[in-house]
Amino acid sequence: MPTTIRIALLAGLLALLSNLAVIGFIYARTHDDAVASIHRQVDEQAKVLSDVYRTGGKAALINAIEDTLDYADPQTVVALIDSSGKELSGNLASAPSFQEGYRTSVIRLRGQPSPHQAAIVMQRLPRREWLISGRVAGEGFAIRETLESSLLIALVVAGLLGLLCGVILAHYVGHRIGEIATVANRISARDLSQRVPVSRAGDAFDRLGAQINAMLDRIGALMEQLRLLTDSLAHDLRSPVSRLRSAAHAAAETEDPVEQEELLERVVRQSDALMRILSTVLEISRSEAFTGRNQFAWFDLGELAAELAEMYDPLAEERGAALVYDRPSRPLPLFGHRQLLAQAISNLVENAIRYGSAGGEIRIGVGQRNRQIAIEVADRGPGIPLDRREEARRRFGRLDSSRSDEGAGLGLALAEAIAHLHDGELVLDDNRPGLLTTLELPVHPVQRT
Amino acid sequence: MGRKILLVEDDRETASYLAKGLTQEGHSVEQATNGQDGLFRATDGSFDLVILDRMLPVLDGLSVLKALRAAHIDTPVLILSALASVGDRIDGLECGSDDYLVKPFSFAELLARVNALLRRREARVDPAERRLMVGDLEIDPLSRSVKRAGKKLDLKPREYLLLEYFARNEGRVVTRTMLLEQVWDYHFDPGTNVIDVHVSRLRRKLDEGFDKPLLHTVRGAGYMLAA
Repeated sequence: MPTTIRIALLAGLLALLSNLAVIGFIYARTHDDAVASIHRQVDEQAKVLSDVYRTGGKAALINAIEDTLDYADPQTVVALIDSSGKELSGNLASAPSFQEGYRTSVIRLRGQPSPHQAAIVMQRLPRREWLISGRVAGEGFAIRETLESSLLIALVVAGLLGLLCGVILAHYVGHRIGEIATVANRISARDLSQRVPVSRAGDAFDRLGAQINAMLDRIGALMEQLRLLTDSLAHDLRSPVSRLRSAAHAAAETEDPVEQEELLERVVRQSDALMRILSTVLEISRSEAFTGRNQFAWFDLGELAAELAEMYDPLAEERGAALVYDRPSRPLPLFGHRQLLAQAISNLVENAIRYGSAGGEIRIGVGQRNRQIAIEVADRGPGIPLDRREEARRRFGRLDSSRSDEGAGLGLALAEAIAHLHDGELVLDDNRPGLLTTLELPVHPVQRT
Repeated sequence: MGRKILLVEDDRETASYLAKGLTQEGHSVEQATNGQDGLFRATDGSFDLVILDRMLPVLDGLSVLKALRAAHIDTPVLILSALASVGDRIDGLECGSDDYLVKPFSFAELLARVNALLRRREARVDPAERRLMVGDLEIDPLSRSVKRAGKKLDLKPREYLLLEYFARNEGRVVTRTMLLEQVWDYHFDPGTNVIDVHVSRLRRKLDEGFDKPLLHTVRGAGYMLAA
C-alpha cells in the first residue's frame, strides 16, 4: 500500500475517532438530560398517586386514576391491577411484567394501535395490588432520534472530510519528500551538484532540505579535497621517487665502492623522506576523519609548550634566532590529544625556525580567553603575503619549491588537520613583520559519536 | 652473548631478513608465521625477547600481546607495524608492549631497540646499581649529579636525562627515534635535526677538554656512549 494512501487513511481514521468522541459526549449528555426529566415527572406522579392511596384508600385512588384519565393526556400511563392480574382502573391494554421500581418498557395503551416506549413506576400496594403510573416518552425519544440521526450524518461527513484532508496532506508531504528523493536519486546517479529546493517558509521540510544541502556541500568539499590530494600526492611523489630511482640506478652502475656506499645511503634517505610524506598524509586524513579522539585526555598546555620550547631552543639558537616562551603563571588545562598537539606545535615552531630565523626572534605564547585556548608561534621573518596564505596551508602547498631538502609542505596542513580534530582552527596572520600562526582550540571539544 | 628471540612475522621476506641479521649478531631466533602459533610458543616464557608483527593471520599481534600479558608473561615485546600514525603507536604501547617500531625500518634501528630491550631485561634481573659508570664518567641517578674524571659537569635537566639514557645503554647504539621516544616521550617524526643539536650540546659539555671522547656518532644509525 503506497504511503500516500496510508497517510490519508490514518488522517481519516484519526478525524473519525476524534469526532466520535465529541459526538458520543453530546449524545450521552442529551440522552441523559431527556431521560432524567421524564424520570422526574414520572416519580412525582407516582408519589402523588401513592399519597392519594395512603390517605384515601383504594376508592380514592381509583377516583384519582379516573380523574387523570379524564384529562385525556395521550402520554399518561396509569393503571391499578389487583392480585389476580385484573385491571381495576387505567388505560393499559396489557400489563407488563411485574417488578417494583422505575424502568423504561414498551407498553400498549388501550385504544391505541401500536405499543410505545414509556417510562413507568410500579408500586406494590399492601393488598397485593399493583399501581402502575408513567408517561409515554414520545416527544423526548423523537428528539433523541433526530439528534441521533444528525449525529450519525455528522460522523460520516467528518470521516469523509478527514479522509479528504488526509489525501491532501499526504499529497503535500509526498510532494515535499519527493523533491528530496529526486535530488537523492540524481546524486546516486553521480551528479553531486544537485541541491534540494528550499522554500522561504522555513518549515521542517525546509530545515531538512537545508541540512541535506549543507551535508552535500561538505561531501562535495571533501571529495574535491580528496581529488586535490591524490592529484598532488601523485605529482609530488614523482620527484622524490625519480631521485630515489636514479640514485639506485647509479649505485648499481658504479664500480667505485665509496661512491656506491654514498649512493646507497642516498637511496635510504630518499625512501625515508617518501615514508615521511606518506605517514604525514595518513596522519592528516586520520585527523580530518576525527580518529584519535578516544586518546583525548586532560593535560596542561602551558607545560607542553614549555617542553617544546626547551626542545627547540638549541635548534633556533643554531640558526641564529632566539626562542622566547612566555609561560603563563597558571596551568592551562586542555582536553585533547597531547602527542598530536605536540606535533602540531612543533610543526609551527619548525616552520618558524626554518623560514623566520633570519628575523632574530621567535616567540611562543599560550593564553586562554573564555573557553578558547590559543597557542601562538610568531617569527620576524619574511612572513606570508595575504594572497598566498590559503596556498600555504594546503597540502604540498610549499611556497618556495626550490627547498626540496626540508619538509614536503605538509607541516601547516597537518597542524590545521590537528586543529580540526580538536574543533579548532589554524589562523595565519601578519606579525608585522613576520608570520604569526595561531592554533585556536576550545578547552573541551564537542563530543561526537 | 647470544639470546633467545621469538620472531612472529608472516611476511617471509622480512622474517628471513630479520632472522638472518639477528643470528649474525649471535642470537638464536625461533620463528612463527601466525599469531596463534606465536602465542603458543611465547607462552613457555623461555624467550628473552619477542618481536611481534602487528598484523598477523589467525590472531593479530595486539591480541597475542594482550593474551601474553594476561597470562603474566612479562617477556619484553617489540611490536613491528605498518600502522604508522601517532594514534596507532600509542595504542600499541598501551597494550603492554615495550617498544613499537614502524615499518619500514632500518636493521640498525631494529638492532638498537632489540639490544636496548635485552639490556633492560638484564637490568631487571640484576637490580639497578647505585651509580652508572662509563670510563671516567660517573652518574648518580639519585642526586642526578654527573662527574667526569672527578670534575662535576653542569647539565640541564633534559641533558641529564639524555646522558642517563645513553649510560643505561652503554656500548649500544641508540637511534634518534629512540631518544625522541624515550627521553622526550614524543611519538612523531620531527622534520628537523632537533635531536642531533641536543646530542651535540651534550657532547660539548661531556667531551670538550678531554682526550678521549665518550659520546660517539655511529654513521647511518645514531649515537653510542662508550669508554
